[in-house]
Formats: sequence, C-alpha cells, structure tokens
Amino acid sequence: MTASPTLDAPAVDFGRLRRERLEKLRAALGANGLDALVLLGQNNVAYASGARAPAADASLAAHRRMVAVVTVDDEWPHLYTAFADGVPEELPADHVHGPIAVETEAGAGELAHSWPHGGVALDEFTVPLHRALRDRQVADASASLSAAKVVKTSDEIALIRAAQRINEAAMADVEPLVRPGARTTELSGRFLRRIFELGATANTVDPIFQIMPDSIDDGPYSATGDLVFPTVTREQVLEAGDVIWVDTGINFHGYASDFGRTWIVGAEPDARQRAQFEGWRDVITRVLDTIRPGASAADLVRAAGTVYGRRPWPEHLYLGHGIGTDSAEMPLVGTDLGIEFDESFVLAAGMIVVLEPIAWEDGYGGYRAEEIVAVTDDGCERLTDYHYRPFES
Amino acid sequence: MSEATAARPPVTADHLRRTLDAMARGDVDVLVLGRESNARYLTGATRLWLAGTRPFNPGCIVVRRTGAVHLLSGTDDLVPLPRAQLYPMSWNPARIIGGVADVPGVAGARRVGVDGMTPLFEHLLTSTLGNVELADGEALLAAVRRTKSAADVDAIRAAIAVAERALEIALGQLRPGVRERDLLGAFAEAMAAQGVTTPAFEAVFASGERDPRSFSTARAIEAGDLVDASVGVLARGWEGRLARTRVCGPATPDHVDAWKVWSEEWQTLADRVRPGTPVGELRALGAEVTGVGAGDELLDDGYRLEPGVVLALGLRRGGVHGEEVLHVTPDGRETLTSFPTGP
Repeated sequence: MTASPTLDAPAVDFGRLRRERLEKLRAALGANGLDALVLLGQNNVAYASGARAPAADASLAAHRRMVAVVTVDDEWPHLYTAFADGVPEELPADHVHGPIAVETEAGAGELAHSWPHGGVALDEFTVPLHRALRDRQVADASASLSAAKVVKTSDEIALIRAAQRINEAAMADVEPLVRPGARTTELSGRFLRRIFELGATANTVDPIFQIMPDSIDDGPYSATGDLVFPTVTREQVLEAGDVIWVDTGINFHGYASDFGRTWIVGAEPDARQRAQFEGWRDVITRVLDTIRPGASAADLVRAAGTVYGRRPWPEHLYLGHGIGTDSAEMPLVGTDLGIEFDESFVLAAGMIVVLEPIAWEDGYGGYRAEEIVAVTDDGCERLTDYHYRPFES
Repeated sequence: MSEATAARPPVTADHLRRTLDAMARGDVDVLVLGRESNARYLTGATRLWLAGTRPFNPGCIVVRRTGAVHLLSGTDDLVPLPRAQLYPMSWNPARIIGGVADVPGVAGARRVGVDGMTPLFEHLLTSTLGNVELADGEALLAAVRRTKSAADVDAIRAAIAVAERALEIALGQLRPGVRERDLLGAFAEAMAAQGVTTPAFEAVFASGERDPRSFSTARAIEAGDLVDASVGVLARGWEGRLARTRVCGPATPDHVDAWKVWSEEWQTLADRVRPGTPVGELRALGAEVTGVGAGDELLDDGYRLEPGVVLALGLRRGGVHGEEVLHVTPDGRETLTSFPTGP
C-alpha cells in the first residue's frame, strides 16, 4: 500500500490502526456471544483486514468482491482477494488466499464448506451463499460491526481528517469555475481530476451540484412534500444568481470525507440569503454546544430546534450521521427511526458526527452546509476546515 | 437555470417484458431487487451513484400479476416511472418492508425472487410476507440481461465512445514525469467533459511493473515505460470499457514486434467469439472475458455464447495488455471499440 499523499502525510500508524480495529471487532464478537464474522461487504472487509479493492460500480465491485473471515481465537483475519497489490504487508501468507467466487454456486459452496465453527455472523448473502447456508443459523453482523466501528481510534480520526483535507483542497479548485455559463458536469470533472492528483484513494459518490429552486413546489416532484435533495448531477448550464448545494465525498486509505456547502453563481448573497446562512449557523452553534460525551442524539435534535418554523432537515434525511469506512454510518441523528431511537443513542469520545442541517425558507430557497466534528472528552473538535464564502468573508 | 442536455432514459419497456416472461417461465411471482444495475436495467432510473458493494436493500420490485415495476424513490427526477410506482425511503428497515408489502400484488405472492439478502432482511421479508419461498432473482436477471437488443448495443456503443474520447485525452498527457494518478485524473475530467460523471471502475494507469496492477499510484512514468491503461465509464446506465498499452516516448522495433504478436494472438481469440463457443474455451487460451451491459456481467466458463451477448475480450502478452468490446452476432461478432492499437 502506498502512503504519502500529496497533502501532508497524516501521522498514521497503519499497523496499529489495523491491530486496534481487529481488537475492537473481537471484543464486539465476544459481547454478542459470537465466535466468528464472515464479511462480504467491501467496506467491512477493508475494515477487518486493511485490504484494498479498486473502486468500481456496484455490479463489478460485487462480482470481484473480497471476503474476510474474523474469528475470536485467531490474531489475523483470513482474506480472499484478487488484488495482491491491495493486501497489507503484515498479514501472514497463510491467511491470504486467492479470490473466492461467492457470486457463483461453486465459490459459495467452497465458503460454506470452510465455514467457521460456533456462532457466526454475516453481513450479507449472495443468493448462492444463501442457498449453500440454508441449514445453518447465521446471525446479522451489523450489531457487531457497528459496535466496533462507532468509536474511532486516533489513527482513524487522522485518516478522516486527511480525507477531508484532500476533499476541501479539490473543492477550492472547483470554486473558481462556478460562474455563469459553466456546466455542472465541468465542476464534477475538475473535482475528480483534483482528488486523484491530490492522492485520494477513490471517489465514492457522484459529485452533487444541485441548482436549488426557491420553493419546494418549483423543484422536482416530492413524494413526502418535503425538499428533494440530493438530485443526481446532469449537464446543466449555470446562470447568474443560481444557488447550488454541493455535496462531495472521497475515500482515503479506507476512510470517507464529506463536504457540503452552498454557493451562489456570479453574485453576492442578498440580505435574505445572508439571514438564511445565519439561521443555519445558529443551528450549528446550538448543536455544537450540546455535543459532548453523555449527550444523546435526541439532545442534539432538540438543540437544533426549528428554523423558519420547521425542523431544519427534510423528513427522509437527518440532522447528522457518523462517518468512517462508510460515508454514512452510526450515529444517526434525527432520522425517521424516531425520537426514542435518538434518546437511546448516547455519544462517547471518539465518535464522529457529520452535521448537515438546512435552513429552508420556502419561497426564497435556503442554506445547507456540512460540518464534521469528533466528540472529545469535554466537547467536540471540528474536522471540517473550509470557509463559508460568499456568505462570510 | 437551463438544461443543456436532458438525461435520456434508456428504452426499458423491452427489458421489463423480457423479465416478466422469464418470471413466468421460472414461476416467480414477485422480484424484490437490491442491486442497482438490476434496478436501472428495469426502470431506466438514474439514482445517486455510489462506489462499491452495498448490502441488500429492497429498492426495486417487479410484480408478475400486474406487470408493473416499482422503485424506492422519493422523487421522479431522472426516474421515468409513474409516481404511483414509487415507494418511500426510510432508515427503518421494517418501514421499508412495509412499503414493499403495500405494493399491489406483493401480498399473496408465493415465490419471491431476490438478488441478494442480509440476515436481517431475510427475517423481515419472511415475517412480513408470510411463508414465501425465496428464488434466485439474480440468476433470472443475469440471464435476461445477457443478450442485448439493438438499442442496448447502441447504448453500449455510446458509452464506449465516451471512454475512448476520454482515453485519447488522458494518453495525450503521457510524457516522462507524469504520475499514473495524473492520467487517472485527466481521464476522469475528460469523461465528465462529455457529461458523464460516473465510472464503471476507477481507471488504472499502470507503469513500470509487469504484473497486473489494480491501482494507479503516485509513480512518475519514465521514458520507455509501457503504460497499461484500463478504463471504463458508466454512461446513462451502460458500461463502456477498453484497455490499451502505450509506450512513453518513441517506440522501438522491439515494441513494434511485441504489438504485432499481441495483435495476432488477440485476433486468433476474437475469431473464436461466435455463437456456441464456451467462455471457458477463451479463458483456457489466456483471454480475460467479462460481460458488458448495464454494469459488469458474470459469464461462467460453461456458458456458450449466444447472439446478442456483449463481452470484453482482453489479452496480456509480452508486456502488452489490450481489451476490446465485442458484440456476438448470429454468424460471428462485431467489434464495438475502435480506439487505435499499437505502441
């Protein structure tokens, strides 16, 4: 694995990172009374083994997926992969295997044949694997994975921060292109070029540059009647005064970034738009003041309050989400899982929250941006470091 | 705001009809699908592209009795389906399954085809829909998707054109000192300049080593290096891909010879691409073979080629790697890629 990003190399001890993740996974297995984890989801395999697979559309990624097997009594995971140049060097040779074709009957049968003993949790089946395991009890791995992943080690936080730096540097190079006559896909193109030049491990999401309507009714059809965001970027020509909500994310050594801001094309914000930004900032300030170990997700929801007479995020989204090997993971804050769920989730030091409230003034548009924070022993620390121009100089 | 080019949905009525026929033959009442490539094949919808595998989530439903396809979406933006055929998103898996159960014709289904599963959704699906029998929906869709209509082949051709133009621009940047990942960046930007912002896979520009490589790195390319470029785009839901090897700097007579050997061997392989040939026969001769369509498609060794199949045929020989996309015709094949070969 090559380190050395073009930006400052993060102070990451990759050996320690991988060792501590495995310790957390084994502890989660023990807590759930399990003996082994079998992992087919690529972010989960990467988390457990440190292995890297090339980024690809979901179809290709599934067809050449890596597989990892973690057991409580083995120091190392077993890894099945086609990508020899993505295998961490410390993994013992007898734990590294060629690819296992779990999308086919033969490969699924092979994995079922070497199935670990005892209580086993799995993240996902392929159809052939589901058939091959029909006579076995298989638990869902999400509880163990989530328990291990939700609190980050210092190395994980350093990698999320490094991913965010690359993401932000690339967006700083996109900003000058935002002018009347430019195409949205041109912005995507500049972003993609820059993240690779700057050393991103992968692009993980089609960059979003959504031209916002003034009112929900002027936008795309909405099944909930609430704001539609995000929409997929298509080739559109920017016009002066367009308000665009941008949302991009990359991967750096297995960890995701998340960048969100509101930009205005070829114009300064008017007084109303500045007030929207202030409304958004007030929400962020109230929530940041609430974040500390022991606060519940519901405390954050209550602190966010209302803006323009409504909850500051749409029904199908959230006030905030975690980030790590997945671009959205636990903790989830303010989802339709409901306030009881939010009450039951308590923050701890080392958790990451991406706050993404929206100050929406229907009829006059709105402001949206994202702030990533790490929960510290006595509050939180911002991992996002990007300006709010043109709303604030 | 103005729209320069609206995204056109691919022709999907034919896809749905073929899928319903396959459901009737396979005695499948309902398909509950999680794989994005299956959903985009059936609906022509463009939902937000994310890299990598995703755990099963029931995002697309086909009901044989009503002949309708339904999609998990909160909007019809870039989703060419009637609004009544959309069902709501949720963070609560039980609520999603509730939405699935509410789709007309799902209640009472006996055999339900799925293209993946998680232990959690298996529990929710069987407890909500009653004592249903699960069938292999992935194999059903894979068989339907494998043979392409003329419109499908045109869509792949259009995707290949985007990939070829972007590769031409990226290789135009090839000179000593350029890093592999600079070429990856140039490719991505040139792809987006054509209105396509999603790859089929992240392009690999590999130099300086002979082993197949999976990633573009920070290595600075040197004069005389062979640069192995494998690229793919996902344009309007269809895959376009190819691979070429280029010399950094002037080609030597040895290079010319190596490309000549590669060309002859590739031609021999390509001549076997016709209806009836088992895919395993091509692989035994050293070919790399994968199916090309609304995303990557698996082709088993035992599968015998049929007219309408589109495949990528790659070969590595003497440091040269190249890959073309071929369309199997009733009496042979046509080559859909047209990028020049040679050092």
